[in-house]
Amino acid sequence: MTRQLFGRLAGLLGVLAALTLAVFVIKAVLPADPVRASIGARATEAQVKAKRAELGYDKPIVVQYVTFVGDVVTLDLGDSLRTRRPVTTDIGKFLPATAELALAAAVLAGIGGVGLGIVSARGGKLASITRLAMLAFASAPTFCLALLAILLFYRRLGWLPSSGRITRSLAPPERTRFVLVDTLLAGDLKAFWDAVEHLVLPALCLAIGPAVAIGRVLRGSLLDVLRQDHTRTARSKGLSRRAVLTRHALRNALGPTLSMTGLQLGLLLSGVVVVELVFAWPGLGLYTTQAIQNADFPAVIGIVLVMGTAYVVINAIVDIAQVIADPRLQTSEAR
Amino acid sequence: MSTPLTRPGATAVDSTDRSVDDATDRAAQPGGPQPVASVQDLTVTLHARDGAVRALRGVTLDIAPGEIVALVGESGSGKSVLGSSLLGLLPDSARPEVTGRVTVMGHDMVGSSDKELRRVRKHLLGAVFQDPLTSLNPPLRIGRQLVERTDGTPRALRLLTEAGVPDPERRVRQFPHQLSGGLRQRVMIAMALGGDGRLGATPDGLPADAAIDVAHDDDGAPRLVIADEPTTALDVSVQAQIVLLFDRIRREHGCAVLLVTHDLGVAASIADRIAVLYAGRICELGPAADVLARPSHPYTRALLAARLAMDGSRSVGNPLPGDPPNPMRPLPGCAFAPRCASATDACTEAAPSLDTRPDGRGVVACFHRNRDIDETVTERAPARAVVTTAAPDAPHALVLDRVSKSFPGPGSGRLRLAHLQLKVVNEVSLTVPAQGALALVGESGCGKTTTLRMAAGLSKPNAGSVAWAEGAAPPQLIFQDASTSLTPWMTVVAQVEERFRQRGVPRGERRDRAFDMLTRVGLDQRAGRARPRELSGGQRQRAVIARALASGPSLLICDEPVSALDASLVVRVLDLLEELREQLGVALMVVTHDLSAARRIAETVAVMYLGRIVEQAPADQLFAEPLHPYTRGLIAANPTTEPGRLAPTLTGEPPSLHAEIVGCPFAARCPLVVDRCRVESPALRDLPSGRQLSCHVVEPPAHGGRLS
Repeated sequence: MTRQLFGRLAGLLGVLAALTLAVFVIKAVLPADPVRASIGARATEAQVKAKRAELGYDKPIVVQYVTFVGDVVTLDLGDSLRTRRPVTTDIGKFLPATAELALAAAVLAGIGGVGLGIVSARGGKLASITRLAMLAFASAPTFCLALLAILLFYRRLGWLPSSGRITRSLAPPERTRFVLVDTLLAGDLKAFWDAVEHLVLPALCLAIGPAVAIGRVLRGSLLDVLRQDHTRTARSKGLSRRAVLTRHALRNALGPTLSMTGLQLGLLLSGVVVVELVFAWPGLGLYTTQAIQNADFPAVIGIVLVMGTAYVVINAIVDIAQVIADPRLQTSEAR
Repeated sequence: MSTPLTRPGATAVDSTDRSVDDATDRAAQPGGPQPVASVQDLTVTLHARDGAVRALRGVTLDIAPGEIVALVGESGSGKSVLGSSLLGLLPDSARPEVTGRVTVMGHDMVGSSDKELRRVRKHLLGAVFQDPLTSLNPPLRIGRQLVERTDGTPRALRLLTEAGVPDPERRVRQFPHQLSGGLRQRVMIAMALGGDGRLGATPDGLPADAAIDVAHDDDGAPRLVIADEPTTALDVSVQAQIVLLFDRIRREHGCAVLLVTHDLGVAASIADRIAVLYAGRICELGPAADVLARPSHPYTRALLAARLAMDGSRSVGNPLPGDPPNPMRPLPGCAFAPRCASATDACTEAAPSLDTRPDGRGVVACFHRNRDIDETVTERAPARAVVTTAAPDAPHALVLDRVSKSFPGPGSGRLRLAHLQLKVVNEVSLTVPAQGALALVGESGCGKTTTLRMAAGLSKPNAGSVAWAEGAAPPQLIFQDASTSLTPWMTVVAQVEERFRQRGVPRGERRDRAFDMLTRVGLDQRAGRARPRELSGGQRQRAVIARALASGPSLLICDEPVSALDASLVVRVLDLLEELREQLGVALMVVTHDLSAARRIAETVAVMYLGRIVEQAPADQLFAEPLHPYTRGLIAANPTTEPGRLAPTLTGEPPSLHAEIVGCPFAARCPLVVDRCRVESPALRDLPSGRQLSCHVVEPPAHGGRLS
């Protein structure tokens, strides 16, 4: 177990190193000139040269890379060309909103996925309905779901707000920048509830796709497990179908489900961009859109590094969870 | 005692009511105590993708308390379906149609609610299945799985001890994959024993069935254990231990056992009664001793004759003629008629009903039951002698010269980063002469499969060398399970053809040569054009052999080639291999734990234990006079059809490779062990008779290989 943990950590560092290299290469080969982008097209040759030297672009490429890695490690990603603030400050400002949304969506996707999987594996009418609904939701693109959700729950029913994280007048003092946490810290339950209402629609829209995917994989592997010999053993012990499903089959079906969960949570990170746009969620997704539109390289690089790290960490966690779920993946102990 | 008999179909009867019913039932039945389980005219039809399978077609069977009934039959005979019916666990997916009655202690197992069935399973029944690895839930600790059944750790530990699991406190914390096959099956048995034999409790907490408790201890025990091929996946020595364990359980707990098996030898050793099932019907049923001594159904006789036995001077074994019955299309008459030498027109017109056996003990379903028994029994042909011999001048087909193979063991040390090298194969030297036949026998985990992989060139030895006959195609492999070693979506002939293509045979000739090869192994054009799943198990194994031979190898390496086959097919496949050796001049190396199969097919037998060869000798000599105590133990552990003979067992299991072995690896289990064995490892020495032996104690016979 310890050895696998170390292995995963080493792998994680390796992937991150490769990520910085990839980002660096992209930066180096892109036709857009960051120096020009920084000081404007009308700057004189001398100004450009001075800026180039200031930014270190006149040094050999290897030195540039080493400097870049050093900057990344010390969390110095330079200033955003658009906001003129350090990229790390910007990310620190927008990341909590996105993290809150993504975490909520991940939890919903996990719970929803397991629920859908179990219900559709049990058979009967409910299972058929669930499977049909799953198919319908899985085939709808996220932005489409988001727009429909706004039309229904905001325009038509007026149950839920359609944009932002919280009603402006209720905004709590910023401490953790996680609105749900901040409202609770401020002891303002009304504001907390308001924030939850703001969170529901975007989180649901983000979660539905992954939940359906997780549910389908779980259903498949549950049905597979229920055909195995040990299911018969469990039934011969006099356990009920429900106990067999939840205590015996679920644990076995976890492996493929966890793999799918890891993949889906990664995809969820890219889904965030679209959902934040539709719901005007002031997070990293909105920041990304603006950065790309303005060829804001330092910002884009920062975002790529953050997202990449998140992706790698999620998958490392999934790998470790898989080892915990299936003891056979651990190196066998002495008999 | 004057209350009438239990109402037919009585199900969830009020528990106080039940104890009265039980008592009266026993008194009312003239033939003895009330049966723990009763099956009456049971028919079960299962629905598969390609049609309805008539699994059981009218089976009636009572099991008395504490009785061991062996249910013997080949695959497809319906024996497992009968076991599942008693458990109330017919597969839902097969949409079973059931008529007739199945009761356990008076409880209906066909029409009852799920909840009622669960109660009966929990308290009155126990189940042990064939493969203990797949029958235990892999990610759950042993203890957790046991406690679900026993309602408490202390009892779980007691049951493990009882089932012969050493160090139960440690085992409950382990996962199934960390246990050996034998231990896993013991865990399954402990779990099966977890029932308490009492159905629920009356509201004031008194056990309802206390009045009729017979020989049960305080914990109670299930009334009936259904054991479905419990030893088939195990080595002979472990099989003998498990059979003994069932016998003990029955004596100590008084629980009845339904022993479902395809092996008459296992049935003979502990069964009180034997029921022979063929095509969903019981064809013979009677006391074990009588059925074995005087089998009166032709099928029972054929099964006995087909059995490869270890007793007697040679392996005998007469293949059953014809094909197994098709459960999708049952015949109107006697199902065995097409394969029966004594069949007459009457047999194909109507099915015979069960009637008293000629000796008056038990029943048989045969129109010719009164025919002289000797007539058919003496039809047993003389054993096929191994006629082919190795070609002396040709180069050897395979030479293994002191090959060793190690695998990294589990990590050790604080971070588990250090690795112990597990020496799985330790300086093994083997030679298969051209056209020769060598069998490598040993228990699972002894390294025989690793040796096989090196011999086939699938893995490289860490030390030593592997050489094949010069210029010959590399050896071909034949695996145990033919159904998984054929490509499912290709026709058989296409798979054989592919091999000819690889050898560069011109396109025009390939198909003809493929069909020729299939004909050689006994598959006609129709079978050749079929896909693997349309073939029977025996046919699939033939297809695999044909495919291997199409590559033109000088050596066929077979890994347990007959272990997955029914007794009636084993002999035929072995004879086929022998025939091909003769006709095509191909050498054979057979790796098996089945000594009788080794005896049937090999010229030379090498016995492997914990990575080393401990004895090697010509087959005749080895079986006539085994020298190494391990070989002797293995041979003795093989079940015979002698009723009530409990095979003497090798105690324990092979030691773990994880610990360093000092001295003779067999010392811990050896009955002849002396002090020297524990400190010094015996070398494999050549005996004057041409045999090889690795033992400090046993003295080789002074004369030409015969012990006086």
